[in-house]
Amino acid sequence: MIMFVLREKNLMRPIHLLVMGLLLMLVTDASAGDRLSVYTVNYPLAYFAERIGGDQVEVVFPAPPDVDPAYWVPDQAIITDYQQADLILLNGANYAKWVSKVSLPRSKMIDTSRKFKDRYIYATDVTTHSHGAEGAHAHESLAFTTWLDLSLAKLQAAEVYKAMARKRPVSEMQFKQNFKALAEDLEKIHEGIKAVVANDPDRALLGSHPVYDYLSAGYGMHLKSVHWEPDEAPSFSQMNELKQVLEEHQAAYMLWEEVPIPVSVDQLKAKGVASVTFNPCGNRPENGDFMTVMKKNIDSLKIAYR
Amino acid sequence: MIDSLYLAWQYIRFNKFKTIILVASITLIAVLPLSLEILLAESERQLLSRAESTPLLIGTKGSALDLAMNSLYFDDEVPELLTMAAADRVYDTDLALPIPLYVRFQTRGHPIVGTTFDYFDFRKLKIAKGQPLTILGDCVLGAKVASELGLGPSDSLVSSPENLFDLAGVYPLKMQVVGVLEPNHSADDLAVFVDIKTAWVIQGLGHGHEDVTRTRDSTVVLKRSEGNVAANAKLFHYTEITEENLDGFHFHGDTSIYPVTAVIAVPHDEKSGTLLRGRYLESEDAQQIILPAEVIDGLLQNIFRIRNVLDAVIALVGLATVLVILLVFALSLRLRQREIQTIFKLGCRKAMIGRMLLAEILIILLVSGVLCSAVLGVVDVNAEELVRRLFVG
Repeated sequence: MIMFVLREKNLMRPIHLLVMGLLLMLVTDASAGDRLSVYTVNYPLAYFAERIGGDQVEVVFPAPPDVDPAYWVPDQAIITDYQQADLILLNGANYAKWVSKVSLPRSKMIDTSRKFKDRYIYATDVTTHSHGAEGAHAHESLAFTTWLDLSLAKLQAAEVYKAMARKRPVSEMQFKQNFKALAEDLEKIHEGIKAVVANDPDRALLGSHPVYDYLSAGYGMHLKSVHWEPDEAPSFSQMNELKQVLEEHQAAYMLWEEVPIPVSVDQLKAKGVASVTFNPCGNRPENGDFMTVMKKNIDSLKIAYR
Repeated sequence: MIDSLYLAWQYIRFNKFKTIILVASITLIAVLPLSLEILLAESERQLLSRAESTPLLIGTKGSALDLAMNSLYFDDEVPELLTMAAADRVYDTDLALPIPLYVRFQTRGHPIVGTTFDYFDFRKLKIAKGQPLTILGDCVLGAKVASELGLGPSDSLVSSPENLFDLAGVYPLKMQVVGVLEPNHSADDLAVFVDIKTAWVIQGLGHGHEDVTRTRDSTVVLKRSEGNVAANAKLFHYTEITEENLDGFHFHGDTSIYPVTAVIAVPHDEKSGTLLRGRYLESEDAQQIILPAEVIDGLLQNIFRIRNVLDAVIALVGLATVLVILLVFALSLRLRQREIQTIFKLGCRKAMIGRMLLAEILIILLVSGVLCSAVLGVVDVNAEELVRRLFVG
């Protein structure tokens, strides 16, 4: 009899554990259901949303880690997920062009750069095309890495905060506190870059890609961009173009989005140009977060402005 | 009294033809105005319910009725266009949710309604088959469009050209049917819904073609100068949007200057609605904000005026019929003079003869009343469907 009771007890233990586990799952699911579902089109916005929303939001940035979110196009299932989110955070400035080609609910879309539309930067070296009676036009004339001017990034974060507070007024105080802390951190980065550039604002720099327009304009940098890829060796024509650029823009450093392949580094070195990495952080970094990447970027700038 | 009724009933049975004509005349004269009353009340309810569920409408100053009819019932008459900036204006006030509408194009006799995803939530439209709009070129069909055209998800539908003689005009767009809506018993059942950007593609404001700045086909290039590549007429414009060529579709310039026919404004609360209306009071403002319920109510007042005329005509016809019926009875009495004298000679009092004639009239009126109630009952039960057929199609 005693043996039977003991066996019974042993049998009951896993059942208890199972029931408790199920209850725990239900509780977790319920709290997840209560969280605001926020979808973003790039990592900086996802980071801002995570910082501001804390445990009140579930932030989803569905782009794969190996793509540039500016040119990534989600599949149908992911577009449906975007449609069902509580908030869709957009960067604006024509970033993520897929947004203009799909149907998303406007009531949920927040264009975080809309308030500073007048500060958008239009690229001047774009080849236009014309056909019919429409006249010349280009498709990629807007620069979109707005967050690289950290003062603009702060404005974007403010829009994220406002949208979340409007969507969930009960958590407004918490969002406000979190936003304040984030804004302070962004301000520190902003001041850090400003201080580095202030050492020598006239120093000529090169950008490997035209993604530094807002960085350059926001901090008064003297920067010119070419079209080089970090994982491709420069072609003959690219080297020629560089030669022409260097004749009137004597830069000693080129900023790269990622660490370039050694061939590029060597060929640049031969021209007297050293390479440093300034990661725009459009996608989620392998290590660290937006702030750690930006701090590393300041260190890179310190080298370039040494 | 029973004997009078018995005699009257026997007389009516004997003169079937005359009785049928009398009953039919009385029934018709009662049924016509009362049925009209029921149908008009139902149409008023239906028209007003759609208008009342649309809190505010913004359009270019002009005919408020055209604006309301086009936006609520997708009428052919296109109001003066305004730009997408009108929707942005509402959005910027933070007082209401703007839902732009572009109701201008047609496909196989049905209106194409360009709007945003929010419209479906606003009108509580549910997908019965397939999925909601996802990418440019997708369309969702109203329930009646789907059944009339025999189309469903994975079929396609081509937009109709605005003008058949405009040979240099925009190519019709082949739209992909991705879903069919549940019946809503409103104008939505008869519409084809697309994203507003797809409506702009239909108009030619957005289009898709290969990248001429990167093309290797020199025969499409008319002139290549520094900073610009001019393409010739050989440049192929896509007439269908697929996942493969979606990337080649683009809009030129700022989409805030693109056209819309109206903007539905859904205020966050009553106070926001009042404040928003206040923003459109200035006389220099090129836009107007209307309360659709007021406009449709005004329209119904006009209908009521027409109804009064109809009522007067029916009353006159009714009066004439009553006079004819009285004449029939008077003539009938004359014809029955000998019969009445015989009854009198048989010992029947004059009062008894009067009661018998009254019983005849009562029976005829009673039968007409029963018939009239039956017809009105049928009309009342089917009024909703009848009005939908008359107004919705």
